[in-house]
Amino acid sequence: MSKQADLSIDFCGVKFENPFCLSSSPVGYHAEMCARAYEAGWGGIVYKTLGLEKSFKVVMPSPRLNAYHHDDKRFIGLQNAEQITDRPILDNIKDLTWLKKSYPGKVLISSIMGYTDEDWTELAKMSEDAGADLLELNFSCPQMAHKKAGHRVGQDFHAVAAFTEVVKKASKLPVIAKMTPNITDMVPVAMAAKEGGADAISAINTIRAITDIDINSFTPLPNIHGNSSPTGFSGPSAKPVALRFVSELYNAKHLNLPISGIGGIETWIDALHFLLLGATNLQVTTAIMKYGYRIVEDMIEGLSDYMIERNIHSLDEIIGKAAKKIVDPSEFNTRFQVVSVVDENKCIGCGRCYISCADGANQAMQFDSERRKVSVNEERCLGCMLCKHVCPVWDCISYKEVDTTVTRHAAIF
Amino acid sequence: MKNPIKTTNIAQFQSMCEPLTLEAAIKESNRCLLCHDAPCSAECPAGTDPGKFIRQIKFYNYKGAARTIRRNNILGSVCAFVCPVEKLCEKACSVKALEEPVNINGLQRFAVEYGKRFGIEALPKSRKTSGNVAVIGCGPAGMSCASELAKMDYAVTIFERENSGGGVPRWNIPEFRLPGDTIAYDMENLLSQGVAFKYESAVKSEDAIEKMLLNGYDAVFISTGLTEPYRLNMLDHYENAMDYITFLRRVKFDRKSIDISGKTIAVIGGGSVAVDAAVSAKACGAKKVYLVSLEHLDELPADKEEVRLAQIMNIIFKAGSQITEVLSDEKNITGLKGIETEWIEPGRFTPDNIRQIAGTEFSINADMVIQAIGTKPGREIINIKPQLQTNGKGVISVNEKFETNETGIFAGGDVVNGGATVAQAVGEGKKSARFIDEYIKNRRNSK
Repeated sequence: MSKQADLSIDFCGVKFENPFCLSSSPVGYHAEMCARAYEAGWGGIVYKTLGLEKSFKVVMPSPRLNAYHHDDKRFIGLQNAEQITDRPILDNIKDLTWLKKSYPGKVLISSIMGYTDEDWTELAKMSEDAGADLLELNFSCPQMAHKKAGHRVGQDFHAVAAFTEVVKKASKLPVIAKMTPNITDMVPVAMAAKEGGADAISAINTIRAITDIDINSFTPLPNIHGNSSPTGFSGPSAKPVALRFVSELYNAKHLNLPISGIGGIETWIDALHFLLLGATNLQVTTAIMKYGYRIVEDMIEGLSDYMIERNIHSLDEIIGKAAKKIVDPSEFNTRFQVVSVVDENKCIGCGRCYISCADGANQAMQFDSERRKVSVNEERCLGCMLCKHVCPVWDCISYKEVDTTVTRHAAIF
Repeated sequence: MKNPIKTTNIAQFQSMCEPLTLEAAIKESNRCLLCHDAPCSAECPAGTDPGKFIRQIKFYNYKGAARTIRRNNILGSVCAFVCPVEKLCEKACSVKALEEPVNINGLQRFAVEYGKRFGIEALPKSRKTSGNVAVIGCGPAGMSCASELAKMDYAVTIFERENSGGGVPRWNIPEFRLPGDTIAYDMENLLSQGVAFKYESAVKSEDAIEKMLLNGYDAVFISTGLTEPYRLNMLDHYENAMDYITFLRRVKFDRKSIDISGKTIAVIGGGSVAVDAAVSAKACGAKKVYLVSLEHLDELPADKEEVRLAQIMNIIFKAGSQITEVLSDEKNITGLKGIETEWIEPGRFTPDNIRQIAGTEFSINADMVIQAIGTKPGREIINIKPQLQTNGKGVISVNEKFETNETGIFAGGDVVNGGATVAQAVGEGKKSARFIDEYIKNRRNSK
């Protein structure tokens, strides 16, 4: 057994052995599944969102998933029309109770969704009594069949503040408010949650999206008996959007709440990206749906090695490190300018950079058809680096700084 | 990624590889780097333009891919099965710098199959306004020349001595390498271009070509291929020695006449046809098949995929060996004696350049011997047109415009190049057509 770095975190006063949690979804549908997730090494679970069947009877649409493919890459995103749990509340409470008793060292988070103040109060109290360590308020499910729930609440500042306040009154547990990305600016909603008493923010829930259309029946997918809807999109292709929201929450100094980062985490590197942009806690679903709970082993080992290699003793040392480097584009130092550099020994002569530069940049790449090698006309190169991104050899093209008193002088000064 | 060879299919003379599925084609096309200069296309002697049809597959334009292949190569579906891609397009593939080259013929088969299954519109019919051309011999070169001329609105008539067209692919390539309906599809496309076929019309009479040129044909294209197999003198007169052309044709069209079940067969030769004969013999039920060749295993002219096929079929290679003696009873060969050899001068693979290695003598039993040591053009054309210049091996001499020394008579394909790939013949047919067009237009203008 190799040396293991300390991956523990403190999130809202709750200690996690590692930041990796299941997010509220089918991967935390019942106790047996959650137990296996704990056994696999997950530090915590957010149980599938509880609701009260007496207020709203949940029926899952079917089929409700559609994977997003690109080229021959399968499942780079997932669209779902999943609802909150369809299991009876008492069954779920029994499961929560059993889980906390069986795994006292692991963190148990109860995700709840009410439709009225009374619902929120009841769900918060039942969760606390069952032994949950934290509550997560689901203000963000983008496809709830109930018209006064989910992201419709999450887009309404007043409702977010009011429901958070109700929960805080009902329970002593720390409260995480889960945000919808289906909004232009997430910070005001998070501020509303804070005003209501929220202790942390989790982001993002899924993005409303249409992943595919059956071009024969003219039906978007998933085809739910002839209809579809823009429903929650997640997975690796949603990650860039999630990272943006997390960084904005972290950089909103007046918000100043810990963040649980969610959106497309599959590997320790994805996890690290969220940490570096300000998330303390991390949640995963799509990657588990695709690969199973076992992936946490590689997240733990990978992140641990990263920390040991760099002499990082605690995740606190790196949380938000990259967020500090996010500025408004108006603040870029445009006096620093680069041109492409091609490593001719690595160039395999396919000419993809030549085509892309010719049709998508400034015709700076030159193709020597005799030798099948490319070279850069530095006078024409704009330093955009499109060439690097289309090159099939990962480390063939790089850049170097140019003297801006000569190159691009007129454009800059 | 190549599809695995299915040996059970070979024994039933069915295609030895399954075509790429849609999923596999999507994956494979995404391995293509879509090079700026498409070196694969530059290497294709037929001008099929794999760089373009792979791009079309990658962007889900499957019918476009099928059209590209057919427009550029009237034998596009045959080539998709029989082309030695490892020596041509795939040899040039840029992906080779990183990993296995793109499976180009697999993608070509996929696109052709897609076009067949979902239908692409017929090729435009020749308006027959440009002139008349006679093509002698309906093999790949003749078909390709005719197709190209039809595109340029010539009226083309193909004269063929057999009762149907297709040449070597039809008569001599085993069905496990080229499924039976493949050539028929290419023939149909040619027919749809308005090309006329005259079957069982061997051009024999002495003045036949003169008459063609006098009676309305503006030019004649000779593409009669290679029809006369070389034979080893020491095997002459034995009833159980057969040339590969006869053997492969009988396996394909008169299999009952080949009764070699449980027998031991020796094939002499190291090229694709020798391997085809050896694998066919095995598929016909032969117990043991030897392949005796002067070339060593890594020097065999057969392409690697075929050598792999022979290995899978347990063909016994006597590579780098020479036959020294025939053991026989009165009429039949009973066995062969041989010896291992080496090249005197490295890299020159000719029978006069070998040295026997003492002490390596061997003998093998043989119930039948198949000779696959090459072919030359038949004498028919020379007999009726003795003025045509040929070189020592009997192939017709042409200039860079595929013109023979006789005005208005062009030639291309195996009868000129001495035996090459289908793709090469297609390429020569296409180029010839352009020069024939140029010749006819120049003549008309100078009148």
